[in-house]
This record gives sequence, C-alpha cells and structure tokens, in this order.
Amino acid sequence: MARLIVMGGGVSGHTAATFAKKWLGNEHEVVVVTPNSQWNWIPSNIWVGVGQMNKEDVVFPLAPVYEKAGIDYRQAKAISIHPYGNKQSDKEYITIEYTGQGKEGQTEELTYDYLINATGPKLNFDATPGLGDGKGQMGSNTVSVCTADHAVHANLELQQIFEKAKKGERQKILVGTGHGMCTCQGAAFEYIFNIEHEAKKAGVRDMLDIKWISNESFLGDFGMGGLHMKVGGYVVSSKLFAESLFSERDVPWLIGAHVSKVEKGKAHYELLDGTTGVEEFDFAMLIPPFAGVGFKAYDKEGEDMTDVIFAPNGFMKVDAKYDAGAYENWKASDWPRTYQNPTFKNMFACGIAFAPPHLISKPASSVNGTPINPTPPRTGMPSGIIGKAVAHSVCDMIKNGAENAHLHEASMAEMGAACVASAGKGLTTGTAAAMTVYPVVPDFEKYPGTGRDTDYTFGEIGLAGHWIKHILHHLFIYKAKLKPGWTLIPE
Amino acid sequence: MVQNIKYYPDASININAGPVRSFKESYTDMLTDIIDTMKAHNLEALSAIQIGYAYQLMVIKEENIYHAYANPRIITQTNPFDSTEESIYFKNHPITVKRYKTLSIIYDDPHGEMKHKTIDNKQEAATFQRKLDYLFNTTLLDRLNPNQKEQAIQALAGKGIMPDTTEDYCPPVSKKEYFVSVTDKLLFFMLVSLFLPLFGISKETLESWYLYDKFAFPISLLLMVGFFFYAQYEAKQYKQCTSCQIGNNIGVIVKRVAIATALAISSYFILG
Repeated sequence: MARLIVMGGGVSGHTAATFAKKWLGNEHEVVVVTPNSQWNWIPSNIWVGVGQMNKEDVVFPLAPVYEKAGIDYRQAKAISIHPYGNKQSDKEYITIEYTGQGKEGQTEELTYDYLINATGPKLNFDATPGLGDGKGQMGSNTVSVCTADHAVHANLELQQIFEKAKKGERQKILVGTGHGMCTCQGAAFEYIFNIEHEAKKAGVRDMLDIKWISNESFLGDFGMGGLHMKVGGYVVSSKLFAESLFSERDVPWLIGAHVSKVEKGKAHYELLDGTTGVEEFDFAMLIPPFAGVGFKAYDKEGEDMTDVIFAPNGFMKVDAKYDAGAYENWKASDWPRTYQNPTFKNMFACGIAFAPPHLISKPASSVNGTPINPTPPRTGMPSGIIGKAVAHSVCDMIKNGAENAHLHEASMAEMGAACVASAGKGLTTGTAAAMTVYPVVPDFEKYPGTGRDTDYTFGEIGLAGHWIKHILHHLFIYKAKLKPGWTLIPE
Repeated sequence: MVQNIKYYPDASININAGPVRSFKESYTDMLTDIIDTMKAHNLEALSAIQIGYAYQLMVIKEENIYHAYANPRIITQTNPFDSTEESIYFKNHPITVKRYKTLSIIYDDPHGEMKHKTIDNKQEAATFQRKLDYLFNTTLLDRLNPNQKEQAIQALAGKGIMPDTTEDYCPPVSKKEYFVSVTDKLLFFMLVSLFLPLFGISKETLESWYLYDKFAFPISLLLMVGFFFYAQYEAKQYKQCTSCQIGNNIGVIVKRVAIATALAISSYFILG
C-alpha cells in the first residue's frame, strides 16, 4: 500500500486528493493535511464581502466529505519536509502541527511515498508595512476578501461606512492591490464594482468617493496583458472597456501603483513614473501579495536544504525552466508541464504552490527601480486542472511503477482559463464580464504579437455573466462535496 | 520599406497589439518601416498596427525627429478637453473625442530602457493618446458614445476604402436574407398560434389561426426553395464570399424546414 500526502485542501489540493482517492481506491492511502476545517469557494467571497451571501453559503466542513471519500484528513499545517528521512530511517516524511480535531498544537511525523504540495499561497500582508500586523496576519488598517472570514469582516466594516454615509458623512473607499507585485486584480475589480452596486442600492452612492488603485500598467490588464471584449455587438479592448466602466460609474483610478506603506486611513504609493503620493480612505480593501507558505526542508542529517526544493519566494520548484533570463528570451515552453520536482520525483506541486519560471506580464519597474507588475495568476480553473493532472500522474506512478508511469501534462501555456467578474448579484439586473483566455501564458512563437489566440481570448459583458457566476457557485460546491456525478463536472 | 496603411473600415486594425520584447534586428526593421511609411505619406505619427505589425510600438514626429515609443503607457492623465482629431485611418475625417492635456507616460526607448516623460500640450497629448488607442484595438470611433458613433459612421459612408461589391466580394447585406427574414416572421406567428388555446380565445379565432398555419407552412417551404436558388445565383456573382458557401445555405434551410415542420405538426394536433 502506497501513501500519498496532499498538503493543502483548497481548489487544487482538494481536486488532487479526491481524484487520487477515486482512482486509487482502498488499495492505497490518501492523506490530506490542511489547517482549515472548511472548504471555501473563494470566488463567491466577493458577495460575502458586500453582504449578499453569508459565510455558510461559501464554505462547507471538510471532515464529512473526506470521511465519505475514504480520505485520511488531518486538520494540521505542514511544517517541514524530510525527503531523505532522518538518522533513524530512510523513509521520507513530513512534520505537521495540528490546528484542530482536538489535537491543537500537537506535532506528528507522517511518512509518505508520494507528496503533493497544494498549500496555496501565504497571504503576505507584511510585505507592505501597515497592511499586515507584523505577525503574518492582516492588519487593522484595511480589509481583505481573500478568505471567507476576511470577507465577513470586510462586510461588517463596509456596512459601517454605509451607515455613516446615510448620516450624511462623506466616506472615501479605496480598493485594489496592496503591493507592486500582487496578482488577483480581477477579485479587487469585482469587489469595487460590487461595492459601487450595493452603494447605489443603499442610496448612499452620492456620499461615497470610490477609487481604484492597482499595479497594472493599464486599466483592463487583469494581470494577463489585456484582452478584447464583445460589448453590445462591438468588439473593444479590455482597456477601453475598463476605462468606460470606471468613468461611467465615476470611479477614478491609479494604475502602475505600488502601495509602499499603509497607515490608519492612509495609503502611501509609488507609481511607475516614479512619483509618490498618499491616498486617504475610510475603508480600504487591498489585496496582499502572495508568497510560499514558508516550508522548510531538511536532509538526513537535519541540515537545511530548503533551497533545493523551494525557490526563494517559497514556492516549490517543478519542471520549469528557471534560467530563461531576460524578458525577450521567455518562452511558453519555460512553463512546467508535469509539476514534478526535478530533484525528488515523488514530489509534485500544483495550484499556486508551484514556482512559476517568470512573470506573464511584461516586467516593469518604476524609474526609481521598484518592481511594479502583476505576478502570474495560478488560481481558479488552472489550479483545478493542474491538480487533476498531478493526481493522474501520481496514480499512474503508484499503479505502474515510477519508472514506467506516464506523467500527465497541464501546461498553462497550452491551457485556457475562464473567469467571471460580476458587478452585483441580481438575476435580473446588473452586468458582469465573462472572460476567456487562451492560452493563460502567452505563446509568442505560436501566436506572434499578442501571444494569444484571439478567437478564444475575449470577454463578453452582460447580465448572463451573473447567471454564469451563480451556476459556477452551485456547481463547484456540489462538485467539491463529491455529490453524485461530481467527476462529470469539469474543472 | 514603405508599407501599406490600413484604412477604414479595415477591421484587421482591431486587435490588441502585443508587447515589444526584443529590441534587436526585427525591431529595427519594424521601426524603419514605420518611419519610411510616415515619410512617404507625410504623417506626423503612426502606430505599428496601422501598417499591420501587431506590436506596441508607435512613432511621433517631434521637431523633425522621429521619436519611437515602445510599450507606451499613460500612468496619470489630467485636464480633460474636447479634441477634434483626424487620422489617416479615417481618411482624415474629423472626429471630436475627449482627451487629456497633461499626461505622465512611460515607454521603452529603442535600447529597451524604460523612460518617463510628462506631456503638457494639447496637440502632443492628443496625438499620443490617439496612437496609443490603436495599440489597444481602439479607434476614434470607439471613443464615441453609441449615438455619436452612429452619426460618425454615417458621415464616413463612402469615404473609406470599401471593397468593390460589384465584382469579387460579397456585399455586407445580401438580398437572400430577405427570404430568411420573411420565413422567420411566418414561423414566429406559427409558434404564437400554438399558445392561443391557453387564453380562452373563441373557436372561430382559433380556426382562423389554424388556417394561417396551413398557409404559412407551405409558404415557408417555398421561401426556403427560393432562398436556395437565389443564394446559388448570388454565390456565382462573387469570388470571395464565405456567407455564400453552400454548406451555410443548406444549414439555414434545414434549420427552418425542421422548425416549420415541427410547428405544422404541433398546429395540427393543437389547433386542428
């Protein structure tokens, strides 16, 4: 019997673990180690953050689902990896520290035959002084919608802002990215327009100054270099679309911005042109940058070998080309295909946990040398697809032997992705942008110029986007709960 | 080398240009082509996409020097004003759009070094914004609201470089579409007739509607026969006409014949 440990129970880890268990059956063991007791459909956190959904609508307990699936669930955080074992044994293992199940604070060693790292990111609030609390958690100056609890807190704060506005107090709202190297601009984009929509519904829009701040070098970049969109029968660029959307809703913007420091009611920033400024706010939702969760790796002697397995940013090294060099040399083929660690063939990473070879957007720095550009998005659809491919590879290795197994591939340079950015939640009113991108990572050799297939890289605006988002919400929670037919629902 | 300039309504200008990634030989060749084309046409500014290069590169003539802006971005813009502009794409037809007088921009110079510049001049700023728009598949028309856009399109009628519809190219609107349009209307009312019994309408009225259905069905079939022969006739007129392909025409016919048949059968059982 082989044991597969999946570290992380988010979109990618949950997908990998559940498919692996389905394919391996009871002959082999699948263990999930995640510090969370609940699974969270993160895209709907936006609606929690404006009070249109409750936390219970976007989460469900993992334990009964894993019990039903026959997966060994450990509510714990993984601390370290020991791929050579220790002085007493050659058997590879990880150390975990429980966060629940009545064993809080206890540590344990779990041996493994195969290891999938799907921890997702560390929300690196402390990368921006004042955005974090100095202890790795979100600070008190701003809010976030990155987790369900954050979104609940964001809504409470937002409702207070609305109450003040109702009393005639003018309020300033700032939404966007909290660092020059953030990703997930789409989530912030969605949140600002949901706030704007709810403010109108509450009758307080005229008392709110809402402003956007982002590290994108142009509005509508979305961290993907932009795309073209179909709006009312016309084809327009996402830049023009976004500019129109912001202008029509009276939302001014700051782009090419690195938030360098946050204080109570103030965000200090530097722009790509080198200028600096301060933006005042009464309410701010600023997305933090992502980093690896900070695993350590040790050899048999207990010596630190973290840099063998992990890149400096804390994400796990996989079969990517990390020495591509200058921007002009970047190729689609630099991106990983199998997500197998090059040193340890029984170790994989999926979702946000793998180290990308380089950025997707063109790298940029301010005239002062501060890097300001979106980092590669690896969330949502690509996360799920990669998780499933990695599970497939591991299952083949277990069943056919590591040497004979076929490793399954899911390169982001050959993969499309879809996302929906809503501006409200109604089924009969409002609009949403539904976007597809192919490939996620531009392939400048195959598609000279834009690097993308323009037939499959487009967005559409309309009410239907709301319906799609509702459908996705219910469909993916249904799938994650492993209800009948869950395998038929695509990632 | 002087390249062909794209003129309205050439839609190939409407794609997002990709970033300039290398500043070596291919970049120099592209830059040379843009400048040669500007000189040949006596232009003050030109975007790469206007001569078919899908890269974020534009050249503006400033005090007789051709200044290249690769991967340009506007970081801040202030002082809006109405700018009446002409572009060679629209054969210098003037269009008024909203622009900003003061811009803080960044771009890569011909060595790939990022530069910053402030523009505080209406004409220079408008030119920069117009050329930048082209790099993001945006023309002057796209900056207008729907009413203004419609008026501008009407004003541009006949002024662009239009394909010669008398010979090689299929026309934008085909007369065979009239057959389809009439058929669709007949079928729509056949569909409506099926729901009438739900509203307690008199027997005489229902009989009249059934009579309508009995005529509408064969007329629909005849219209589709007419569509087929007229489409075949039209297809022979043009050398290039994707909408004239027989597969498309058969698809249109099969779809409507199937719907007409289904509606006729339903009518027979519901109203007959």
